[in-house]
Amino acid sequence: MKRILSGVLASAMLLALCACGGGTPAETTAGTDTPAETGAAEASTELNIYMWQQYISDQVVSDFEEANNCTVNISYMSDNADAITKLTAGGGQEYDLIMTCDAYMESLIAGGYVEELDLSRIPNSSNINSSYWSSPNHSIPYLGNYIYVVYNTETCPIEITCYNDLLDPALKGQITSIDGARNLFPMALVALGYDPNSENEEEIAEAYEWLVKYNENVVAYGNAEQNLTNGTASVAFTYDGNASWAFAETGGEDSPLVVAPFTDDAVQLGFDMYVIPTGAQHTDLAYKFLDYICDPEVMAQNLVEFPYFCPNDAAVAAAPESYRNDPSKDFDYKENVFFQEDVGDALTIYNDYYQMLKVGQ
Amino acid sequence: MSTRINDTTDLQAISRKRDLRRKTIPALAQAGPVSVWMILFVTLPMLYIIYISFMSRGVFGDVVYEFSLESYQTLLDSIYFKVIVKSLQVALFTTVACLLLGYPFAYYIARKPPAVASKLIMLIMIPFWTNSLMRLNSWLLLFQTSGPVNTFLQWAGITSEPVTFIYTDPLVMLGLVTNMLPFAVLPLYSTIEKLQNSLLEASSDLGANPRQTFFRITLPLTFPGIFSAVILVFIPSLGIYTVSDMLGGGKVLYIGNIIKNQFGSIRNWPLGAALSVLLLVITGALIFLYTRFSKLEDMEVV
Repeated sequence: MKRILSGVLASAMLLALCACGGGTPAETTAGTDTPAETGAAEASTELNIYMWQQYISDQVVSDFEEANNCTVNISYMSDNADAITKLTAGGGQEYDLIMTCDAYMESLIAGGYVEELDLSRIPNSSNINSSYWSSPNHSIPYLGNYIYVVYNTETCPIEITCYNDLLDPALKGQITSIDGARNLFPMALVALGYDPNSENEEEIAEAYEWLVKYNENVVAYGNAEQNLTNGTASVAFTYDGNASWAFAETGGEDSPLVVAPFTDDAVQLGFDMYVIPTGAQHTDLAYKFLDYICDPEVMAQNLVEFPYFCPNDAAVAAAPESYRNDPSKDFDYKENVFFQEDVGDALTIYNDYYQMLKVGQ
Repeated sequence: MSTRINDTTDLQAISRKRDLRRKTIPALAQAGPVSVWMILFVTLPMLYIIYISFMSRGVFGDVVYEFSLESYQTLLDSIYFKVIVKSLQVALFTTVACLLLGYPFAYYIARKPPAVASKLIMLIMIPFWTNSLMRLNSWLLLFQTSGPVNTFLQWAGITSEPVTFIYTDPLVMLGLVTNMLPFAVLPLYSTIEKLQNSLLEASSDLGANPRQTFFRITLPLTFPGIFSAVILVFIPSLGIYTVSDMLGGGKVLYIGNIIKNQFGSIRNWPLGAALSVLLLVITGALIFLYTRFSKLEDMEVV
């Protein structure tokens, strides 16, 4: 009996070992069967995308799968930095398209981590408004986000017209805020009258002091739309897409929410863009996908589900009324925006102060 | 043939073979899978963490393989000290709360007939069939400003304004205690169950009142269970970050959150690794203490 048991256990162990050892190489070789640049001759059947969760319509993806007879595998990131890690650690082995944001593009291009794009293979890219397209040779902007202030006129004790109003002691425990060093610090820098992409440590330190006061008014980081609709917070510093849901939840046009009418302060407009990582395995499908997502009709369909800011003019024109008249997009300082730029080595300074902000209470 | 058998070296070889069959192979089969598992998934990652903690960080959060003590120097900063003290306090509170709630409950279960006891134990386990994030989310929904708890309080006239429960320390504590309670109840139950009634009867025969019996007999005899409960609750609640992340709204940070942030948004892997090493040291010290105590206890019991 004992001997049988030991035999069974030993073989189970061996099997487990084989499984462990065998799994990964098999996966990687599967990818190399279809060499990168063969194009139409040997079409890929698999497209691997790394992007934000809750950011693309399932229907849009499955339509693409059907049309091109392929499978699209989407993995989700939880932070922009995750995408950077993937890209710098040879992302082409695993992914054919990676979503990143404009703040990192310069370093990524300089480091040779992204492939140069052949725009003639993406004819629909002509629909993209060039003023929102920071690096047209290496990226295709997907959707963008204003990061602005929304508040509930019924419950918020004050009127908010600039970032400094957010420090008002009356707002203690009233703000629900997005998180992340490169989202919070630019707001503070603008409020203090500095360059939102400052690389000057003294300015960043001052912004840190500003954010410490801001932090006292924040009830929670994240979940902005929920906290705003269930009454936990009366002010949100959030993305326009999330605000759009909050507006819809609280009665659309009749919603007590308003986008804070800023008079002078600039708001952040950030874009999420697709890049092809260096050494991607299925570039033929990646190009097809990029062209597909730039198609006005496809993008318009996507916008119904994910009502973010869209840099694709033709798609906005094709989008339904509900998107174009969305109260979350109804504010008149849309031109007064700033972008996140690559701050190079100063990123470490930001991260250190951000760490202090999060820890030191 | 006969000369060969008499040969001592051959005999030794045969007995060695027998040993191999009788002892080594079964031993390998029994301990082997676990050992391989532990080496692959515990020891190696742990060594890697220790190794990374002595490296430097790159701008993008990549690990630069150059020796540096920077992470450990950062640890000496007073902010981290504060966070660690705060996390230890919270873990301690959770442990004490779990013991105070769990001990009477375990005692109650253990004194029931086995059929009832197993059902009661099952009741503790049932909530754990649901994902812990789901359970945390349900706390949020229950306690949110427009949630059922607030609605009830206002309806009953206990408060006129909604009370802010969510994203506060007490709710994080509640989440931690409910998450950790079974880890306290189960070891306590198993020791209390072994407690012999005759000892308690003897104690009362000798004139001890129930209070004296409890403190002099029951409590010391169930000490091993209490200690395992302490270890099982304290260590996970020191490192857990999901509870404070979800119920604390990203404002309540413990050491687990700091470590998670270092590997996530802040991207300072060496510092995250150094913090993990610190956590390992604290855990190791506790387990060392535990082995000392439990040995002492065993000797007393014998």
